[in-house]
Amino acid sequence: MTRLQFRVLYREFLFRVVDLELLAEDGDISKLLGQFAALLIFCSLWLTPVAGLAGSAAGHNPMLGMMARWVAQHFLTATTMLAVGLFAVMSWESPFPDRRDVFVLSPLPIRARTMLTAKVAAVATALSITVLALNSLTGLFLPMSYGFGGVVSAVRAFSAWWITQFAAGIFIFFSVLTVQGLAQLLPRQVFLRLSSWIQTGFFVLMVTVYFLQPPFSELRNLLANERALRWVPSYWFFALFQELNGTALPQLDFLVHRAWTGLLIAAAGAAAAYLICYLRTLRKIGEQPDILPAQRGLHWLPPFGDSLQTAVAHFSVRTLLRSRSHRVVLTFYLGIGLGLSMFVSHLPEVYDRASGFGAWYRLNGPLLLASMLITCAAIVGTRVVFAMPLQARANWIFRMMPHAGVARCLSASRRSLYTLSLAPVWTACAVLFFFLWPWRLAAEHLTMLAVLGVLVAELSLLHFHKIPFTCSYLPGKTKFNMALVYLALFFFVTQWAVDREMAALADLVLYAKTFGLLLVLAVLAHWRTSSASHSEEGHVHFEETPDPVVFALDLHRDGVTTLQ
Amino acid sequence: MLELRNVTKRFTGVVAVNGVSFQARRGEVTGYLGPNGSGKSTTMKLITALIDRTAGEILFEGEPIHNDLATYKQRMGYVPEEPHLYQHLTGLEYLIMIGQLRGLPAKATADRIDGLLRLFSLSADRHVPISSYSKGMRQKVLLSAALLHNPDLILLDEPFSGLDVESALVMRSLIQELAARGKVVLFSSHELEIVEKVCSHVVILHRGKVVADDSIERLRTLMALPTLEEIFSQLAVEQDIAAISREIADLVIA
Repeated sequence: MTRLQFRVLYREFLFRVVDLELLAEDGDISKLLGQFAALLIFCSLWLTPVAGLAGSAAGHNPMLGMMARWVAQHFLTATTMLAVGLFAVMSWESPFPDRRDVFVLSPLPIRARTMLTAKVAAVATALSITVLALNSLTGLFLPMSYGFGGVVSAVRAFSAWWITQFAAGIFIFFSVLTVQGLAQLLPRQVFLRLSSWIQTGFFVLMVTVYFLQPPFSELRNLLANERALRWVPSYWFFALFQELNGTALPQLDFLVHRAWTGLLIAAAGAAAAYLICYLRTLRKIGEQPDILPAQRGLHWLPPFGDSLQTAVAHFSVRTLLRSRSHRVVLTFYLGIGLGLSMFVSHLPEVYDRASGFGAWYRLNGPLLLASMLITCAAIVGTRVVFAMPLQARANWIFRMMPHAGVARCLSASRRSLYTLSLAPVWTACAVLFFFLWPWRLAAEHLTMLAVLGVLVAELSLLHFHKIPFTCSYLPGKTKFNMALVYLALFFFVTQWAVDREMAALADLVLYAKTFGLLLVLAVLAHWRTSSASHSEEGHVHFEETPDPVVFALDLHRDGVTTLQ
Repeated sequence: MLELRNVTKRFTGVVAVNGVSFQARRGEVTGYLGPNGSGKSTTMKLITALIDRTAGEILFEGEPIHNDLATYKQRMGYVPEEPHLYQHLTGLEYLIMIGQLRGLPAKATADRIDGLLRLFSLSADRHVPISSYSKGMRQKVLLSAALLHNPDLILLDEPFSGLDVESALVMRSLIQELAARGKVVLFSSHELEIVEKVCSHVVILHRGKVVADDSIERLRTLMALPTLEEIFSQLAVEQDIAAISREIADLVIA
């Protein structure tokens, strides 16, 4: 009986790792999960050259090969930890039974123990799939670069690699569980209020650490950073792999010790978290509502144009502020933008450890680039989040509204996008640049940044014929492979733009020309986006529909009617 | 007057509504009845223009509604069967949003929202997210949203769902009051006793087709049956109720 219950619950929990309510009517959960796995395998494919490079270098020059292997191994371990961390944050509420589980399953003759075991098993499966998919190709190539000494050393390298990757993933996941477990000791409603902020904080922390951790270099340089290394878990597991592989470096023994200690502490913390959940949280969920008391006075928002624009903008702002899942996705983009911005603003060109941040006070490319990156990340992230629905079935109220044409809805979405992304990031940049640079230089850059923001926002809204958060989601339409191409292109373009702006800020005539060009592009993008909303089919989309299996080519001679 | 003329709706091979024709007049409450799966909710969605018809015509005040959908929607209020609401908004925020989406003047709407919240006993919970509302409270929010713009056509799909006794009595009286003040009210429900008390005219749907369309009084006389429940059973219930209940009991107890 218990085993059958376990199997049923395990399957149910595994398929609920993502929020099913986001899906369109034609959406398929197995397709969505398959897409996640495919995405990770695709990442693995992209990372394979890193592992391959290490292998080929090892074959030619042992010293160079060793360095290449170290760099590749550390990079891949850090990436695994980031991916697992992202998974842990994305499935924040999945590891523990929620209100729905308690109320649906409690009346049934199911022990809390069975429910929790099924949860743990489901999460462990999802975690394993994440690590396996991400390392599916790199996990073959990189151990091979260590296994030149024969079959035994190859098997050892292979085992060491996979144990390390799983250990690193488990450490991150258990750490997240530990923090959640500790937070559950707070009164239930305080926990609910804090939980989403802890989740967001974790996210920012992981992305920031990934981008800002000390870069791998020679052992001597690495040891010079010993104090920092003690606090960067990816280096702990780098050393652990060397230990397990039999290629241990005595100088890094303290990191191996940290890896084991960290793993033990995280495991104990996760066990405690489940114990707290078993003894306390399940009862509290039943006793107390999951709703926080409202705070009067936090409800006022300014008008955003006419009544429809105001309604849509208020709805967007409130949804983004109150929906945890949307905030997390936006944080993902902001985290990447912030991480890259911090990375470039710490380049030796502007940040010298000896002189502190002195170069920041002068015009410099990396800071220009950083401000562009964070602006674009905020706009693109907000636009992506707009396309994710919240309570898609409640969108009937928008469908029934009179006068909600595409053009008016686009105008409302545009205002929401500017308000939620461009305005706050631009304001933050304005404070920073007016603090750092002479006012004229800062004003010139901020004007350019605003126009760039408008250009990116307008391009992102092209063919967006929806009201934010109201259109259902259909898996299979995301083109992540193209996103990486766009990202590479974006870096190329922004680097060119930075060079151009650096020159323009030193020459007023060139500045005027550059600004004029950018302004024309922004106006053209605005015109294109608006005209697309007028010219195409005149209704707002509330339901994503799958592409037809058969496309009609409509090939016919002039004057001949097509067959219906 | 709301009029449906030979309205048909097909979903990939399945005919949900088949040539339905009836009229709902000003000043009376028209009951719309039918067993589960008979096409009631589909008809409601067709009348609200949430879905489009396959054939036929829907007219309001003599005009096909699809000729000027925006004006029609401005004159229609709808309470859906399922209380799907944006639960992260508070009751007050939701109603303000509805007012803004309908383009109503802000001050007058705020006063009307205040009044509706007070009369529906929701004032104390106006700043609480809808996710913490009971089913009855959500129903009241839906009703307030449907009445906010003083519509001429009121479509009610199971409006009594989840309401407590006092609220249900208020609601029953309100529906009659609105009809008496010249509104067209189309009222769909499974609760035949309430329908019998509230409606003057009923349309009974069975397997997507209209099987009765008359005043309750005339149906009683024509069919020589004393209650709406018996009329409904005769027209729309195919199964032998007693036999089925016996079978279920046998199955469970065996």
